[in-house]
Amino acid sequence: MSITLLRGAIVLLMLTVAAGVSARKLWRVYRLIRLGDGPVPLQPIGRRLSHLVIEVIGHTKVFRRFSSGLLHLFIFWGFLVLLSTIIQVFGEAFVPGWTLPVIGREPWFVLLQDVFIVLVLIGVAMALYLRLVVRPWRLVTQDQFGAYLILGFITGIMTSLLLSRATGIALGHAGWAGGAIVSRAVAGWFEGISTPVIRGVFEAAWWVHIGIVLYFLTWIPEGKHLHLITLGPNVYFQKARPRGALAAVDIETAERLGASRAEDFTWKDNLDVFACMECGRCTEVCPASNTGKELDPRRLHTDLRKQLTAVGAQLLAEVPPDEIKRPALVGEVFSEAFLWQCLSCGACVEECPAGNDHIDKIVGMRRHLVMEEARLPENMEQALRSMEARGHPFRGAAVTRTAWTAGVQVKRLDQGATAEWLLWVGCAAALNERNHPSMRALVSLLHAAGMDFGILGDAEVCTGDPARRIGNEYLFQTMAKQNIATLGRFGVRRIVTICPHCYNTFKNEYPQFGGQYEVWHHTQLLARLLEEGRLRPNGSLRTAVTFHDPCYLGRHNGEYDAPRRVLGAIPGISTVEMAQCRDKAFCCGAGGGLYWFEDRTGERVSHARTRHVAATGAQIVATACPFCTLMLEDAAAATNATARPVDIAELLAQSMGPGA
Amino acid sequence: MDTIVCLKQVVDPELPQWDFAIDPATKRQVRMGKPLVISTYDENALELALQLKEKTGGKVTALTLGPQGEVKDAVRLALAMGADEAVVIDDPQSPQRLAADKASVLAAAIKRIGRFDLVLTGCESADWVERAMAPFLAEALGAACVTFISRAESRDGALSVRRTSEEGFQTVDVRLPAVLSVTSDEAIRPRLPKVKDIMAAMRKPVANWTRADLGAEDAGGAKGVEVKDVSIPERTTKVEFLEGEPAEQAEALVARLRALKIL
Repeated sequence: MSITLLRGAIVLLMLTVAAGVSARKLWRVYRLIRLGDGPVPLQPIGRRLSHLVIEVIGHTKVFRRFSSGLLHLFIFWGFLVLLSTIIQVFGEAFVPGWTLPVIGREPWFVLLQDVFIVLVLIGVAMALYLRLVVRPWRLVTQDQFGAYLILGFITGIMTSLLLSRATGIALGHAGWAGGAIVSRAVAGWFEGISTPVIRGVFEAAWWVHIGIVLYFLTWIPEGKHLHLITLGPNVYFQKARPRGALAAVDIETAERLGASRAEDFTWKDNLDVFACMECGRCTEVCPASNTGKELDPRRLHTDLRKQLTAVGAQLLAEVPPDEIKRPALVGEVFSEAFLWQCLSCGACVEECPAGNDHIDKIVGMRRHLVMEEARLPENMEQALRSMEARGHPFRGAAVTRTAWTAGVQVKRLDQGATAEWLLWVGCAAALNERNHPSMRALVSLLHAAGMDFGILGDAEVCTGDPARRIGNEYLFQTMAKQNIATLGRFGVRRIVTICPHCYNTFKNEYPQFGGQYEVWHHTQLLARLLEEGRLRPNGSLRTAVTFHDPCYLGRHNGEYDAPRRVLGAIPGISTVEMAQCRDKAFCCGAGGGLYWFEDRTGERVSHARTRHVAATGAQIVATACPFCTLMLEDAAAATNATARPVDIAELLAQSMGPGA
Repeated sequence: MDTIVCLKQVVDPELPQWDFAIDPATKRQVRMGKPLVISTYDENALELALQLKEKTGGKVTALTLGPQGEVKDAVRLALAMGADEAVVIDDPQSPQRLAADKASVLAAAIKRIGRFDLVLTGCESADWVERAMAPFLAEALGAACVTFISRAESRDGALSVRRTSEEGFQTVDVRLPAVLSVTSDEAIRPRLPKVKDIMAAMRKPVANWTRADLGAEDAGGAKGVEVKDVSIPERTTKVEFLEGEPAEQAEALVARLRALKIL
């Protein structure tokens, strides 16, 4: 038997074993994922593919941390380019000196391979520097052993590859070496060394390379390295519904409401947990985690993965349901405090390079707590009861829904008036006196611009948003259907609202129940009216303002510019941004139904936000959400902060001067 | 233990003060367009009934008297919380009636329902605060009566209840059947219904009766009691500045507070 044949046979055997082991592990992961149900959204292929290319190949999310992004880009692109060298090396096992057809001997391609060997090694060095010297919190709390092992694998694969290329050149059997400037330089080190030694090094490097590559292959389906395989599909199958929309549940037919077991999540949720690479960026930006609370969006995924793996194994082995060993998912794995601390602000979702959705999973477990067990913090319960009894969540409100209209000219659709636009006030603006000046300012601006608008007055009831975020999907759907009927009765087609939560619900969630409207946030409409010249601010305010992005306007609906355009149009205002602004904005503390209940562990989220405001030195924090205004007002008072919140509408109205 | 709980639907007592209005014609609170809720203590009574049922078995019947179109939500909530069935006595005039008048109708309904060990009411309604329903019912039904109870425990077919009095608590053993009026206690905070209970409540039986069905003639309102006039108390605010050094101000303040009988 010739040496070549023997070598080929050994490599083939190794490859078969490694691929078999890897495939077996992957098949198991696939079956665990498919324990969840839910649709498989293949369409629209074009948009999903372009999204995939931008996020994965383009690394847009990964680059939210520049140095991490760069080093990962080197390693990831290196992985793509150097797949070609791996194929070549395996080819050499059967045909000595084999290279890829067509491009394998092209100098530019060989150069590209060489360059990426170096870039990958630079990437590994940067990763080591980050882990050993910079030591960010999110990395030191990770599975460090696995991380170093993978860096070791990569270093091994790269150095063995480089050595085998260099010694191949030194031995003179590399006809492709023209462009390989790095490999040729390394080959230079072997000048004057005897041929048998070089041959020995070549053989050793070649076998080490193949060995590590194959061992790595069996290792990928374990732990966070699985993201090499799962991340692409996970980004491709990212939910098609708008970011701000939660999935609807069919209350009538659902066997169980919400998620209380590992197998209660959708297959996409399960794919999420296997796509998580534990980078911890979610936790790093989470307002709850940042203020000393128990909620940890990364642990949400890593613990769900552990549960799904352990419980899924028993389910796949068809262990009878009552004999399955498992801790309670809600209450033990994730404490109730953990679940009630989420603000649904979407900072984690925005950040996640794997395209995971943390909010869906938390709301899923809240749905179980609220609808199956009727267990929730007392103040939240009171808010929900108030929504049922009074149509608004503000128990004990000292004013009526239309009290703010005293002394203001505004049409009442509920009293027979008709108008082109519905001005939807929302409970937070209507039932809290602190927000009445904002409403009155908005009305004066709409009048000044000659808009034809009216309010629903007493016919307005809560959109149901707090119920949905708290987990009472049943109450949400009841209220949504009631509102859709009301809006239909008044023939409403265009809505402008001051509340981003109402905006999000109308725009993204009511379509689930057949309510289709043209929905504008007041800052969007004001920006438009300014640009059309229908509003002409003249008075100068001479003040420094920082803008606080509401989560449900910004991250959940992608509107960062309209409020800034309005501020930019006000003469005399100088705007200064907080470090945590736009898509990196930090919640005011009211999202996710937490206006009615905030866990007192650690610092209050609103107080932390007040510190961010203070760091800018601004005199005013401009707001565009009545909840943010309430939270930041209380926080400013409690922390003796100088910058008080003022709604953008009020700032603009102040600059309109007399007679405007 | 079979329990009948009397539930009254009232205008949300937590409405803002300036949303409260009196109709001069009926001398009653304006109900039109206002949210209606189960009167606070009545909901506590229902919770207590449900807890007793969970310990001793039996049936809980929710009984309400009111304009039939208005009471649907209250009845659904009671059934969702866990009442087994509900009886509605349709009476469009009920918001104008006082306890003495309504007690005879409720007693007739209770007799028609038949078997019961216990009748529970709230200790007072959130609108009229008459505090008279339980004694009236007990009188009409010939049952024992304990008012202002916050806890109840079943003991060998009788009941041991904790009664709140001006001096503190009294523990009273009461023979059944009995009528109890319920106050509040941390242990009887009304439960939030689960969604499956809300769905199940849609299928629970609701009997609709009229006053005529019960042989209760409309006596035209008052039965010994008549409302002559009602008015909203006027609140005035007066600011008084106390002069002098802090020590003198403190002394003056104490004197003023004593004079106002606040201290």
